[in-house]
Amino acid sequence: MAVLRTLLYLFVYPGLLFLFAYSTFCEWFDRKVFARLQNRMGPTHTGSFGLLQPIADFIKLLAKEDVVPAAADKGLFRVLPAFGLAVVSAAGLLLPVWNFDLAVPSFTSFQGDLIVLLYLLSLPTLIIFLAAWSSTNYFSSIGGARVLTMLFGYEVPLFLAVLSPAILAGSWRLAEIAAFYQAKPLLILPNLLAFAIAVVAVQAKLERCPFDIPHAETEIVGGTFTEFSGKKLALFRLMFDIEMVVSSGLLAAVFLGGFPGGALVGFAHLVVKTLFVIFLLSLIRALTSRIRIDQVVTLAWKYLAPLAVLQLLIIILLKGLLS
Amino acid sequence: MRIAAFLPELLRSLFKKPNTVDYPFKKLAVPEGFRGTPHLDPDMCIVCRACERDCPAEAIEITAVNEAEKRFRMVIHNDRCIHCGQCVDSCPTVPKAMRIDSLFEIADDSRHKMKEDWVYVRAVIKPKAPAPAPAGESPNA
Amino acid sequence: MKFQIPIGPQHPALKEPISLRMTVEGEVIVDADIRLGYNHRGVEKVAEEKNWTQNLYLSERICGICSHSHSTCYVQGVEKLMDIAPPPRGMYIRYLVSELERVHSHLLWLGVAGHEAGFDSFFMYTWRDREVVMDLLEMITGNRVHYAINAVGGVRRDLDDLQKAKVLEGVKILRERSVYYFRIGASEPSFVARIAGVGVLPLEKAVALCAVGPTARASGWARDVRKEDPYAVYGELEFDVPTADTCDVLGRVVVRVKELLESYKLIEQMIHKLPEGPIAAKVPRKAKPGEVVSRYEAPRGENLHYIKSNGTDKPERLKVRAPTLANYPATVEMLRSGFIADIPLIFAAIDPCICCAERAVVLTSARSGEESIVRLGDLRRQALERHQKAPLKRNAVWPF
Repeated sequence: MAVLRTLLYLFVYPGLLFLFAYSTFCEWFDRKVFARLQNRMGPTHTGSFGLLQPIADFIKLLAKEDVVPAAADKGLFRVLPAFGLAVVSAAGLLLPVWNFDLAVPSFTSFQGDLIVLLYLLSLPTLIIFLAAWSSTNYFSSIGGARVLTMLFGYEVPLFLAVLSPAILAGSWRLAEIAAFYQAKPLLILPNLLAFAIAVVAVQAKLERCPFDIPHAETEIVGGTFTEFSGKKLALFRLMFDIEMVVSSGLLAAVFLGGFPGGALVGFAHLVVKTLFVIFLLSLIRALTSRIRIDQVVTLAWKYLAPLAVLQLLIIILLKGLLS
Repeated sequence: MRIAAFLPELLRSLFKKPNTVDYPFKKLAVPEGFRGTPHLDPDMCIVCRACERDCPAEAIEITAVNEAEKRFRMVIHNDRCIHCGQCVDSCPTVPKAMRIDSLFEIADDSRHKMKEDWVYVRAVIKPKAPAPAPAGESPNA
Repeated sequence: MKFQIPIGPQHPALKEPISLRMTVEGEVIVDADIRLGYNHRGVEKVAEEKNWTQNLYLSERICGICSHSHSTCYVQGVEKLMDIAPPPRGMYIRYLVSELERVHSHLLWLGVAGHEAGFDSFFMYTWRDREVVMDLLEMITGNRVHYAINAVGGVRRDLDDLQKAKVLEGVKILRERSVYYFRIGASEPSFVARIAGVGVLPLEKAVALCAVGPTARASGWARDVRKEDPYAVYGELEFDVPTADTCDVLGRVVVRVKELLESYKLIEQMIHKLPEGPIAAKVPRKAKPGEVVSRYEAPRGENLHYIKSNGTDKPERLKVRAPTLANYPATVEMLRSGFIADIPLIFAAIDPCICCAERAVVLTSARSGEESIVRLGDLRRQALERHQKAPLKRNAVWPF
């Protein structure tokens, strides 16, 4: 029975199957909201309301010609998309959806899984950098350099922002943090600043406008993905979609009280909360214009990081007051 | 400087009907006087060749099928036509032999399918009909 | 580490082929170079084979955005050659379409600027509202892009009262929206951060490099043919020439939005002052021998047509100097400073129309200074030969 549960967990929910289906749904949601914010229609025709459009795009890309540049590092170039997908899917397993027991740590929920999840979510950035560098293209190289520069900008504010609710809850385990805020929902409020910072940092992590600098179409063509086509590009796109689901799930688990109530009710919580975060991400995308790479670093270190530290101070004081 | 200056407008459109039209399924009407595809009314044509001469894209071709019978053939190459409507303006007959309708979805997969031709006898109904190709002037407006 | 990145001939930021060869050091641009000649169509040569009426439509097709500008510039010259004065009503309708075209072109440019900066919502909204003026133009002229309203000696279509009312109504909506976009464009922090202080062109450089249109006006040089050399109806109308002294892309945005507001003023004046009478004069088929230079303030700057007639019904020579061509030297200057991220914005800020500016290319040997003319067939054969003989690139060298 335990084996079946684990297999179910790995491959169905929240494993690969769910992540694939839900990430395409999230991409559809993001595209639809983005379009409606701009007074457009968005995907309309594939499936009802265009729900199947991301899947159609995925299949179409799979069928396209797959070109590997002559000068590219072929091994890296081939393996990286699959590796990136594997990393974010593994990160998805750490979300405290079901199949965990608060009292007993398991392989998907243990003390410190927050850190592991953050680490696994940092890896795609490095993978993208390697992919860009191994594809030997000027535009890709510039994109790769931008990816790394941006990483140094947003990663610290994100970690600091996620730290403060964890400190207040006194745990490094996602399930315990979520349970803490479920028990005391009012304590979500002092973390709002950290939530805002985290949303901005996740936006940067997902390389979406205003942080779509590494693949800024009008500047450096495809940027990091200039040389990627066909299956590899499809996998990278899927990787970004899953990363969006996982990081919004992380924010929901840490800031919004997680997904209580077992498999079914928890699923409803997951859908509502991640879609809320994705809505915020879409809103930021629609609201802003792409900024320059130097402005990203300035924004991160001048505003986001000090604010995150301030939030941390507030939380520590609050924790002192409460205990 | 105002952070999120665009926000009210964006949120308003979220609950509004999209401004775009589901094109191939729903179509907007073209206004009156739209310049679409040119057509010939063979009963009126006096073969003055004013349209052929003034057509900037050389899309109109008039050839004699049988000079003695005064039978002519006009071909309009819709693949070359630039829809300027100069042929209508140049046409001296009243009512005009050349007219332009509001049809604009005329794309085809082969340029040879886009030809339209008429074989007809030259009309002689005009009292002051000029002989073929008046060299002097032609009405421009 | 210095290297050259090719922006174009095929690049998502460019709507038409041109090659910007940017030498960059990391993110910083150290040198810029422009190569033209990817989009040559031989319009000037074709013009010599067509009669005055046919050339109206040919000149209109020099550009897709300022189609009416080229057509009007040409027709002004032809009317001067033929020594005819179009009736005032025709003139008013012609320049009414001119101003509507300026509105559509500037709104289009605003959207493009937003898109180049990655501000897609701005792009979508400005283009949505641009449909208002496109519909007005379609209603007046019968087409959305190539209006074909000009005829030698006047215009081809009259304007009725219903259309006048609709134009006034449309202008009201557009004015409100333009003011709104001005507020957004100048206050959204991420957008302003991208355009303020980018692509600086100081006044003395603008003068020295002969910039035209909004590019010159954004450097504080109030150059406008409509004001300096008022042609046709512009002498009778009231309007200002907006300028900005920030000399950057933000200044170009400000100038264009202010010009939009001036255009609305002009449109309203023209509608109210529209005289009665015929819309076109009767014209001869042939022009007297002579030559003429016609100037016209297109949305992008001063447009110039030189027409030479030899007394037949065809021009002997038609020479077009499109505003984009005049702005290229200034563009290279602007591109020499800044970041890679600024390239599309700086280049888009001159509102480039590349095919407008593509004229014949004369190949000059760098060694002997000899000019040579190569036929297209020869060029194609040479290219194929070179392609077939070229060795296969097995081990491409990667500098890093």
